[in-house]
Order: sequence, then C-alpha cells, then structure tokens
Amino acid sequence: MSKADNMPLNLIITGVGGQGNVLASQIIGKAVVKKGFRVTIGETFGLSQRGGAVMSHVRISKNKNCGPLVPPNMANIVIGLEPLETLRVLAEYGNRDALFLVNSRPIYPLNVIAGEVEYPDADWIKDTLLKSVKKLYWMDGTAKAIELGGPIMLNMIMLGALCTIKNFPITVDDLKGAIKNIFPDSKLKANYMAINVGSGIISVESKS
Amino acid sequence: MTMISEKTGGIALLQGNESIARGALEAGVTFCAGYPGNPSSEIIETLAKAAKDLPIYVEWSVNEKVAFEAATAASYAGCRALASMKQNGVNVISDFLLNMTMSGTNGGLVLITCDDPAGISSTNEEDARLFARMGGIPLLEPATAQEAIEMTKWAFELSEAIKNVVILRSVSRLSHTRSSVQTGLITLSDAQPFFDTSKPYHTFPVVAKHEARNQKLDQAREIFETSHFNTYEGPEAPELLVISSGCPWNYAAEAVELMELGEKVGLLKIGTTWPLPVRLLEKYLKISDKIMFLEEVEPFLEDNVKSLAAQLGHRVGVKTYYGKMSGAVPSCGELTPGLVMKIFSDIFHLPGNTGTYKDEIDTMIADKLPVREFGFCPGCPHRASFYAIKTALAWDDRNGFVSGDIGCYTMGIWPTGFNQVKSVHAMGSGSGLACGYGKLERFGFDQPVITVCGDSTFFHAGIPGLVNAKFNGADIFLIILDNSATAMTGFQPHPGTGITAMGDVTEPVLIENICRSIGADVEVTDPYELKETAERIYRLMKKTGPRVLILRRKCALVQGREGGFPFNMHVDPNKCIGEDCGCGRYCTRIFRCPGLIWNSITGKSEIDRVICAGCGICVDICPQNAIIREGKVE
Amino acid sequence: MIVQTSQGQTRLINEVINNGLCVRCGACAGFCPYFDYIDGKIIPLAPCCSDTARCFQICPLAEHGEKNESDESGIGDYRKIFAARSTDPEIVSRAQYGGVVSTLMIYALEKGEIKAAVLTSRGNGSSPAGFLAESRGDILSCSGSEYTGSGGLSALNRALKAGKDMLGIVGLPCQMEAVRRMSMVEFSGENLSAPISLKIALFCTWALDHRAFDDFLVKNMDGGKIIKYDIPPPPSEKLVVQTLKRKMEYPLSDIRPFIQQGCLLCEDMTGETADLSVGTLEGSKSWNTLIVRTQRGEDLLAGAVKQGLLEVAEFPDENFNHLMEASENKRNRGRKRRIEKNK
Repeated sequence: MSKADNMPLNLIITGVGGQGNVLASQIIGKAVVKKGFRVTIGETFGLSQRGGAVMSHVRISKNKNCGPLVPPNMANIVIGLEPLETLRVLAEYGNRDALFLVNSRPIYPLNVIAGEVEYPDADWIKDTLLKSVKKLYWMDGTAKAIELGGPIMLNMIMLGALCTIKNFPITVDDLKGAIKNIFPDSKLKANYMAINVGSGIISVESKS
Repeated sequence: MTMISEKTGGIALLQGNESIARGALEAGVTFCAGYPGNPSSEIIETLAKAAKDLPIYVEWSVNEKVAFEAATAASYAGCRALASMKQNGVNVISDFLLNMTMSGTNGGLVLITCDDPAGISSTNEEDARLFARMGGIPLLEPATAQEAIEMTKWAFELSEAIKNVVILRSVSRLSHTRSSVQTGLITLSDAQPFFDTSKPYHTFPVVAKHEARNQKLDQAREIFETSHFNTYEGPEAPELLVISSGCPWNYAAEAVELMELGEKVGLLKIGTTWPLPVRLLEKYLKISDKIMFLEEVEPFLEDNVKSLAAQLGHRVGVKTYYGKMSGAVPSCGELTPGLVMKIFSDIFHLPGNTGTYKDEIDTMIADKLPVREFGFCPGCPHRASFYAIKTALAWDDRNGFVSGDIGCYTMGIWPTGFNQVKSVHAMGSGSGLACGYGKLERFGFDQPVITVCGDSTFFHAGIPGLVNAKFNGADIFLIILDNSATAMTGFQPHPGTGITAMGDVTEPVLIENICRSIGADVEVTDPYELKETAERIYRLMKKTGPRVLILRRKCALVQGREGGFPFNMHVDPNKCIGEDCGCGRYCTRIFRCPGLIWNSITGKSEIDRVICAGCGICVDICPQNAIIREGKVE
Repeated sequence: MIVQTSQGQTRLINEVINNGLCVRCGACAGFCPYFDYIDGKIIPLAPCCSDTARCFQICPLAEHGEKNESDESGIGDYRKIFAARSTDPEIVSRAQYGGVVSTLMIYALEKGEIKAAVLTSRGNGSSPAGFLAESRGDILSCSGSEYTGSGGLSALNRALKAGKDMLGIVGLPCQMEAVRRMSMVEFSGENLSAPISLKIALFCTWALDHRAFDDFLVKNMDGGKIIKYDIPPPPSEKLVVQTLKRKMEYPLSDIRPFIQQGCLLCEDMTGETADLSVGTLEGSKSWNTLIVRTQRGEDLLAGAVKQGLLEVAEFPDENFNHLMEASENKRNRGRKRRIEKNK
C-alpha cells in the first residue's frame, strides 16, 4: 500500500462527533504498536464533538514517528463514517491511488434539517468518489450496526472491513486482540461480532 | 494499574497530554492542579487516574488562578508541583504569575499551557508563550510526544536549579496526538513538605527582586546552550535554515523529505524557546543567508531571534527572513504540512505538485457541500433554556438580548441556540458586562439584558460580578444554566457536583445559597418545562434588582451515561401538517433538534431514532400535538 | 431573519404590525407558533415560510387590494333596535351597564345553542386576554368593559385548533371583521369560521394600546387591582378608573395619545356583521342599546325575552339620531384617514 518502504501508511478516519471515530483510531493504534510498528494519531476534537466533523489521522510506519497530519493528497486509505464528511476530505487528502471505505448513511447537519440547504444526493457523492479514487467500498454500515445492537457499532464494523484490505498491517485477529482491554468483558462479544460482520463486507461487495 | 502509573518504563501509545502527565510522574511530582480547558484537560484527568495507584494529589480547582496558587504553595513547601491549563487560563493566572516569579520557588514548579492555534475549541487564538518573556520565565516547547515526556520531567529539575517556575507549552496538535513513546521510570518523592519560615516569599524590594529574576533567567540560558532539546539536522551550509519551535517542526521535516530538499534545507529545532540560547543561535545564524521561522501562533521566536541577530550585527551578517512578519508564513491560524510545503515551493520556485488533483475535485464539488454547524446534543437542556429565553425576549418586545459566557451554552450564538447570545469572551465576563448594562438606565438605556452563565463558570469567575451588581445597584438578571457538569471540556467535576477529580465524595457548594447570601432574588426551575420557564423569565424581566434564575437539568450526555431518558418518541403522520400554514415545519426549521428530521417525500416530520435521546420536550413545541411521547417499557 | 414571502407573515409584519396599525384583535395569534398575543401586543415569534398564510388573509387591517368602499351607512344593516336590560340581579351587579351581553351568552350556552363562548377576561389583575368560557360562572367573570386592545380572538384560534365548534363570540367591530374574513378563507378544506354559531358585537369608537396605557396607570394609580373602567357619555370627556380603594378621573385628552393608530382607520362603530350588537344607551346607566341584525339574533333575543331574562323597551328617537350620527362620523373619519394613508 505504501509507495516506498520507509513511507508511512496514511489512514484517515472521518465522521461526525459521537460516532466513535477517536476510539476507532486508538484501537488501530494499539493494534499497530503491538505488532511492532510505530504510529502517530492526530485527532481533531473538542467543540467539534457537538455535532461537528471529527477527523483522525493515523500514520503507520515501520521505523519513525511521523507528524500528526497527513500531508496534502497523501491519504492511502480513508474510512468515511459519514458520506458528506468523506467527500469533504477528498480534495485535500484524496488521490488516485487511494482506497475509500464509506458508510453510506447520512447524518444530516442541522441546517439541512432546517431546510436551509440541501444534503447532496447520495448517488452523486458515490459517483464523485468513484471517479476520483482507486477503489471505493460503499456500504450501509449503519444498517448492519443497528442489526447488531445500535449505530455505535458502526466503527467496529468499519475497522473489521479495514483489516481485510490487502497489505494492511493488521489482521482481524490483531484487531480483536487490541480491543480486549478497551471494552468491558460484557461488551466484547458484541464487538467481536461487529468486527466479523465488517470483515465479511469487502469480499461480498464487489469493488466498484 | 494503568499504563500511565506503571512504574517501570516501556513502549506505550500515549497522547501528548498523557506524555506530559507521564513525564511529571517520572519526575516524582506530588501536587497537581488545573481547570478544564481544551486542549489541556487530559493532563489532570490522566494524573487523577494515576492518583489511584500512586501517592500523589490531584485536583480540579475552581479556576486556574487558584489551581496555580495551590501548586505554588506545594512548591513553597518543597514539593514538586504542576499546574495545567489552556491558553486562557494563563491569562487568568497572570497577575499571580507575574508576581511569584519575583519571589522564586522551592520544589520544582512547572506550568503547563496548552494553546489552541486556530481556536478550534476556543474563543480566541492566542500564544501564551509571550507570558514567558513578560514574566522572565524559562519556556520549553516539545515538538513530539517523546520530547513532551522528557522535557516535562526535566522541567522540574530546571525549576529547582534556578528556583523559579518553568513553563512547558503544548498545542492542540501535540496534546491530542497519540504516538509510540518510550517511557522511563517513575520515581516517587519522599519529600516531607516543610515551609522554611526563614525564607519568606515576597517581592520586596521590587527592583532587586526583578534583577534577581533576570539573573535566574541568565542561569537558564547558560543551561540551554548545551541542551539536547535543541537539535540541528541538515547540511553544513544550507540554502535555507528553518528555525522552528514546537509542533511545526514535524511538518518541516516531512516536507523536506517529501520534496527531497535534504541538501538544501537545514532544520534547527529549538526546544528551549526562552530565554534564547544565544551562542547556539549565533552558530547557526551564520550558516545560511536565508532564515525561515516556523512556529505557532505569534512570531515569538522570530522576533526574539531577529532582535538577537540585529544585536550580533556583522557577526552573523545580513539575512533574508521568511516568517510571519515577512508574509511568507500566515500570521493567523495553525500551520499544516500543506502550508509548509507551499512555502518551500515558493522559496525554491518549485511547481506545486498536488495542485491539479485538488483543483479538479474542488471544481467537481464546487459549493455543494453544506457546512456542518455545531449544535447542542439531542436532549440538551441548553436548547430548552435558550428556547424559553428567546420566547420571553420576544414577548417582552423591548429589544432585549443575551450576554453570554463560556461553556457548551456559548453555542447560543449560533442557530442551535436560536442566535440569542450577543457577546462571549472570557470566563465570567458575562456578569461583568451585566454590571455595565445594569447602570445605563440613568442615561436612557431601556433594553433588558439577560446574562447566562454555566454552573462551573459561575464558580470560576461569575461570583464577583454578582457581588458588584448587588453592591453598586446594577440591574442584573442572571440565568445560571446548571447542568451539573463542566460539560464542554469533558464532564469534569466542579464545586457543585459533589465529587472531586480523584473521585472523592464531597459536600456540594450550592449555587442558590451563594446567590441568596449575596442578596439576589433566587428562583430555581427545570428548563425542560418550556412554557413555564419562558413565563418565569418574562415575569422576572419586569422586576428590578439582582435576580438569579437557576435552570437546573442534567447534561444530556451525562444523563445518557446514567441510564438515559425515559421516552420513546414518534411523530403521528396523521396529525402532522408539515409545511402548511399553521406549522411551516416548525420543529425542524425553528426548534432544530437533530432528533427531529424532515421527510421531503411524505412532507412530514419524523423522529430520527438513531439520534433522538428521548427527552420528550419537543412534545410541547408542535402546534398540532403530533409529536407523541411514550414511556419506555422496561 | 424574516424570509420573504408573498402573502404571509412578512406582509402582515411590514404592512400592519411594524406600520403601527395593529389593533390587537388577536386574529393572527393562537393558531400557529409564529404569532403570540401577550400583554397587549401581537408578537411575531419566529419567521414563517408559508407563502399564503391565513394570518394576512384574515387581518382586519390588512389591505388585499380590493376596494373597501362599502355601501353601508348609519349603523349598517339591521332588523330591529331596542333598549334592553338584564333582569338577573347577579348579572346586573357585575355588568358595565345593562348586562345584556352576559345574559344573551349565558342563555345561548344554557340552551345549548353554543357549547362555549370566546370572551375577553381581565386576566389575573394584569392584562386582559381572550378567554374560552364554558359555564355561567366563566361568562360572569368576563363581565365589564375593557378599553384596550386585548387579543381576544387568540382564544378563538385556540378553540378552533382544539377542534371545538358551536362557538359564541363577543367582540369588537374589528374582531367581527376578522371573523368575516375568516369566512372567506379555506384551510385544509374547511371554512375557517364555520364553527362559529353566534356573534355579538360591542360598540366601539376606539381602543387603547394596553402597554402604553398600563405604563400610564402604573405612574398615576395606586397599584391596586382595577375593578372598573368607564367612559361616561359626552359631554363628560373623561376616563374613570376604579380600584378597590380609589376612583380616579383622567381627562380624555390625557388618554387619547394611547389610542391605537389602527383604530383611527376603522369605519364601523357598531359591529355591522354581527348577529347582535350591544352598546351603551346614552343617558342611562342601567340600559343597553341592542341592535338585532340577523334571524339567528332575532330568535335568540325572542327566546331570552320569553324566558324573562331580558327586558326590552322601545328605542328612543333622540338616542337613535345620536347613534346614527356618531356611527356616520366614525365611518367618515375612518374612510377619510384610510384614503389619506393610501395616497
């Protein structure tokens, strides 16, 4: 996935406050460190948790600690927990070699709900992404999450999918190992299931 | 035993703030105090968790001034102490800070400031480093989490060497960045606190103390000359020398690598930003004619180095400077890798290599992406409070307005709070402003002013304003939004919540008791009762004298953690009249709770089950009683 | 932040409310969340986005472009005119003069001709407001004249929204005009005024701005609860205000500055579209003038008289001439001012 051996693997997770974005990036970070890689995770949160966009930059490297922000147009993988926020990062961080895993379920901004602006058409979002990146996996992660118990399961589903991507440095088992000390035992089973569901997505969905 | 309090070192994935906390523990810190403020809050939170395993004391103080004073007292008694806050907190402590540097310290005392370039979660964008210069205080700036651990640990040693406070400055991009770090050993202090009465801490004679303070600074400067926190990487005679402090070094280093400028650019990373290590700087100022400065936010390093260069004169020669003063680096906002790469491109006349993709996407997308505005969470009592305030102000019809303060309710300036709040600046400044408005009647001012203030904010800085209003007879109507939390910063406890940072139960300080003893008329009610609250506010607006209305209802997120709300909500499509006259989709258009959404196909409103918290107050806003509230079945 | 709309809230706000013409009849309030009536004022609460909103359609001061020249003269169309008074001592003790309105409304309610009455109550010692009366006691509590705009129709709107029908309404001529306009507006397939069964109008020359008048009273009265207002017939030229302790008289010239500007454009003194119209009988403190205009009004009166609840007498000629003159004067003044304004 990375261009050269000493270049970092740049992963961006983008979404809306409350979707568990920051937790997801921490879990990846933990799994990556366990496997002997170095990682830097830049998190943007605070006021943005009150309904605003949240972005994590996860930079995985074999031998150095990178800076906290992905340089322009150098994201290798983008996990979009929300479609509008995914499109918002495309111009600045996307490129023609990038791989995007996107949850198709919108979270409507308040001004859209109020009728002041329109939320962009889902097909247009999908098409724009298709035209602009190497691979797009477009899935209704929220629907699957709700089946599993609630929309908060979305981030684990997406991480499960992430770990099945070819050459991604951690596996589904690494991921399950990483969450052992993060969730209480009572919640582990549900999260393992979410990871399993996620890990089945990419093989089922044909790459677009 | 958490990772932070593990006594033996190892590799860990730590946030910048966690690293600072770890560094303090490795230095044997004993006393830690602070006030919540993004991006600093995790430092005290982390230390408070460690306090379960280690014999240290950690507190959330009522405000930063008391926090820093308390930490200073521990230092006077010979303990190593730390105070942590965001940039605005340093403003709050400034009077004490600029005095106590004159009288010195005993046990190592470190002041941590976490600044927020671009004001991502702040009311302003500010560079607290300038206090270092104003106060004659050594200043350390880590660029990475690893440096944060090591510098914090060393800061206590430095403080004890010079017998004065040391500032360690972080920024959001460091504080909230997680990376792999190597931790060292935790040492526990066995110092017995003791105040040597033969060594008092006063600032007289003032001039002599000032001179003594400056001498301490010289001492620090000498130590900095050989500090391993200042590093150089690059050719012996680079075309461009980049002098950086703090986080932007990362962007420069990566830019040099990506743009293959390793032969042309030298990177001087300064970790001891003030006082300047002059001999070190002289050495490096000589190696290039082009000097660039990268730092956030003010040109602090830049100004000081240029001043030094002017003083050194022909010893370093004439330079071309690229910085905030020359316009090469933006004077406001935070730096990014992209910005740094662009500046390098400009200096070296390189073509921008990523422009075309971005331009293409920008053209395709144009302005089709709606901005995502910030908003109160579903169930937030502030939405209810501002709705009631808006209604009452409209009824009153004297062009009244709201004077605001700092907290989640600051968002009252935006549509989520019905754009009610007309001014917000600093903690407690709302009540201060009210004292001004409240005395203008004699000059013909006739607009009623409602001052809103949160519970934590009231304890922090709102009380003096109310006392002044009573004392000077200012007509103040203060609405305290008591959601029993310091919510915006992460639900830290405060004097009214009955629990401390370390989890001890304590007797809550009651806001209504304070207000009554000041002499205000006090009423308490639940903002969820929208109509009743609006009527009360309307009635109270017609009275005079100091009035306090406490709107008390728990923060929705805290309620969510404690079992949630008792209702299942839905909209009856047979009753909903949507956009027709008589409603005009009032719930989605005006009330604006994210739990209520519009279905443009059916032309009706709906509850978004994923988002709705189930607080049930929207039942009272629907003109057709189409929003139905049902108790959850267990 | 008012959204531009063609016929709705924006026009109402710009052309009537912010133009100083609102007479606080209450027709626009109480139905939707965008207008409220409180303490003598109509308050826009939020910007409405409806293009054709009923508020503007029914406002008696809103001009929709049609010609307003009516053929009416004198006291308008009527069948009969009487002097009348209540025979019920309880009603008489509470009434302003003859107690005719209270008697007719109580009779209509007890007979089942109406299920509830939209009246104006004095409120809890604060300001008058619309009130839905559903019992004799309710109706009695609304006895007595008010001289300020009091938003009474907001209670009608609340009743309509709650699905009530067979409503009686007592109101000023502006409120009768609003109800007439409601009869020409359909919403959700229904004629807005269909649930109204009985309309009794009160004579009115003008009404005062409540908030301004209230400020005046606060400065000039003893702060006690006001139990009666009265404007004795000319040539007295004064307003009498009574609390439990005091009775104050103010020259009308002190009071006229508080007259609502919109009232000066009104051409209808006696409520020409009602079933019955009731007012003072000059020279008498215990009789009312009662004008009967419709079959419904006539039937109701006949019933009340038959039951001995009301006493009626022949209407004196001199009073009749004065009434016609006063009514014509108001019509002409109003028409002239309206034409001036529209130049």
